[in-house]
Amino acid sequence: MGSDKIVQSTGKAGALSEDDRVFLQGVVERNRAEHHGRVSYMDIMFELEHHYGNSLPGEVLGEVARLVGAPASQLNGFVTFYTMLSTKPRGRHVIRVCTSGPCHVTGAPSIVAELKRLLGVEVGETTSDGMFALEASSCLGICGVSPALMIDDDAYGNLTSGDLPRILAAKRGGGDA
Amino acid sequence: MIRNQLLICAGGACITSGEKSVKDALVEELARNGIQDEVQIIETGCMGACDLGPIVVVYPEGTFYQKVNVQNAGLIVSEHLVKGRTVPELLYHGPTSEKKAQTSEEIPFYTRQVKRVLRNCGVIDPLSIEEYIARDGYFGLGKALEMGPDEIIKTVQDSGLRGRGGAGFPTGIKWKATKDATGSPKYVVCNGDEGDPGAFMDRSVLEGDPHSVIEAMVIAGFAVGAATGYVYVRAEYPLAIERLDYALKKAREYGFLGKNILNSGFDFDIEIRIGAGAFVCGEETALLRSIEGKRGIPSLKPPFPAQAGLWGKPTLINNVETYANIAPILINGADWFRSVGTSKSPGTKVFALVGKVQNTGLVEVPMGTTLRELVFDIGGGIRDGKKFKGAQTGGPSGGVITADYLDMPIDFDTVKEIGTIMGSGGLVILDEDNCMVDVAKFYLEFIVDESCGKCTPCREGTRQMYRIMERICDGKGRGGDVEKLKSLGKVIQLTSLCGLGQTAPNPVLSTIRFFEDEYRAHIEDKKCPAHVCKHLLTYSINPDKCVGCTACARQCPVQAIGGQVKKVHVIDQATCIKCGACYEVCRFDAILKE
Repeated sequence: MGSDKIVQSTGKAGALSEDDRVFLQGVVERNRAEHHGRVSYMDIMFELEHHYGNSLPGEVLGEVARLVGAPASQLNGFVTFYTMLSTKPRGRHVIRVCTSGPCHVTGAPSIVAELKRLLGVEVGETTSDGMFALEASSCLGICGVSPALMIDDDAYGNLTSGDLPRILAAKRGGGDA
Repeated sequence: MIRNQLLICAGGACITSGEKSVKDALVEELARNGIQDEVQIIETGCMGACDLGPIVVVYPEGTFYQKVNVQNAGLIVSEHLVKGRTVPELLYHGPTSEKKAQTSEEIPFYTRQVKRVLRNCGVIDPLSIEEYIARDGYFGLGKALEMGPDEIIKTVQDSGLRGRGGAGFPTGIKWKATKDATGSPKYVVCNGDEGDPGAFMDRSVLEGDPHSVIEAMVIAGFAVGAATGYVYVRAEYPLAIERLDYALKKAREYGFLGKNILNSGFDFDIEIRIGAGAFVCGEETALLRSIEGKRGIPSLKPPFPAQAGLWGKPTLINNVETYANIAPILINGADWFRSVGTSKSPGTKVFALVGKVQNTGLVEVPMGTTLRELVFDIGGGIRDGKKFKGAQTGGPSGGVITADYLDMPIDFDTVKEIGTIMGSGGLVILDEDNCMVDVAKFYLEFIVDESCGKCTPCREGTRQMYRIMERICDGKGRGGDVEKLKSLGKVIQLTSLCGLGQTAPNPVLSTIRFFEDEYRAHIEDKKCPAHVCKHLLTYSINPDKCVGCTACARQCPVQAIGGQVKKVHVIDQATCIKCGACYEVCRFDAILKE
């Protein structure tokens, strides 16, 4: 299958620049070398999400499919199966509120409600300034300090609704809370 | 010359409680006192007592300082290290004990534990391979290489070790089946996709003692004849991935991984593969598909992974905690391993105590320990003097253990008899304020979300069960709903393809078994006895207690509360959305929740 065909099928032919193509080829080749010939799709996807603002555009997936020699449908199936990956554009920081059992019984529902109110978005949406995407997460494994959430790779525990404005403000400012 | 060592718990939970800033404060204070060359600071893995964090332990004395913060961290330096006086305000004071505990050996949370899996967690710097080696690290590997594959497998079989991921399958049988399988190459996989909500022992081992898993996987590779291993870790655990990756590099540098390991001629290497938020990937066949770069969808067994696993080749797959048991078994022997635990479930089990219990965190106890010991002796009982109602075990695949069974020894088999499973060891403690119908509905919702969709009973059946649960909690339950849940649950258990589906109805069936009266109250009386299910609640104002402060009226998002300043307020029931904001904000206990 030729690359043009895949790119056209997303309806956005030509959306990838030459720089993008060179970058993607580099990512895939490096990954292939690191994993002794077997590429790790997940590592590639995380790297690309990081590069493309926390999402995986269709054209990018199409080009990666061509580079690894897999059908684009397989990659699309892979990406849409895993909740932490997204094909939709997301905010600069992804807030993952743990909504699993231990956090649920110690107050996660009110944390989610307060975040929705503070950010003005529903779970699964991004704020209008493009700063935060709000997502519900499976267990973060810091149940000893539940309720908890993670923003990007930073975890916060023993949360009360009152802690949230400070945490968000710190992230907005680029520092740690 | 180092005279003291400060161990700071740098487990995931303590980091959220401010471990980094405490460490910075200690470093600064050491320098201020000019003793930075005499005192070594070591960041360790999880010490277990998450609710006491951040924790700092001063050696050689072993003084245990808890809930340390930036303001008081300096006292550990200026008082303890400079003046030789302990800092009483940072010592642990148990609710029942007369005096404060100086060391962890005086804290009931620790004294009853038997640390085998967690032997190094909270004791060594997980980034230091030298410290791991100093605690007999890689000695088990050296011994294994001398023993040879058959003797290794026999020792693991004799130990009676059973898979700690939840199913409890005998580990030695898996090892033997993989060794005996024809097909090449073979693979060794570590399941670190710890998805059970409330279980975090795998995270702690990977963060606190990554070499224990690496060592065991090399031993496993040697025993079954594999040259490549994969550790599958969830992306929700970035710190575990980071420390494991570092440990792998160090192990390669030291010749414990790679070509010709310890001059034995045996080659083995390990790669990390990352999971991205799919609960079903904890199921071993789904996990293997995920490593292959596919959707994590389970497949029918047999063939078992030992025959046809990764890329159709024989594959040994064990859980993190299972691997962490291996090196000590080889060093100390099968009899040593069997010296604690029960005859059918030997050894220890790590439990994650969470929920409404006083002391939360990770505890490692002999198999067969009772729930009473776990919740009351180790866990310190229920928070805020409330009543114990049950322990949810095994996450969304498990059920509840109620107060009637507090004295039942917990192992793989006993808990099955009362309709739950031990699972990977998460114990979510529930008190009288938790509604069992709500808890069961919650776990079911999780399953509906996480079902991969491959087989109908799980995909459609759990959804139908959820609809019934939803209407029960919404006050629209109908006569016969309980019976419908039971029969649908039975069908799903019997006809689903993988473990996720087969166990999905457990939370509902188990809570019906022990709390049917709560279901009946929801359905017949339209009441939630625990006052949790919002649609079954009414909020009203007690005129005797209301002082007319207007706090509730100002907080109400739908303006359902009327009344003038300093006059009794009233809630308009037709407008009220039962959000509970008034209940939270009232300082005079005047809001009644019924």
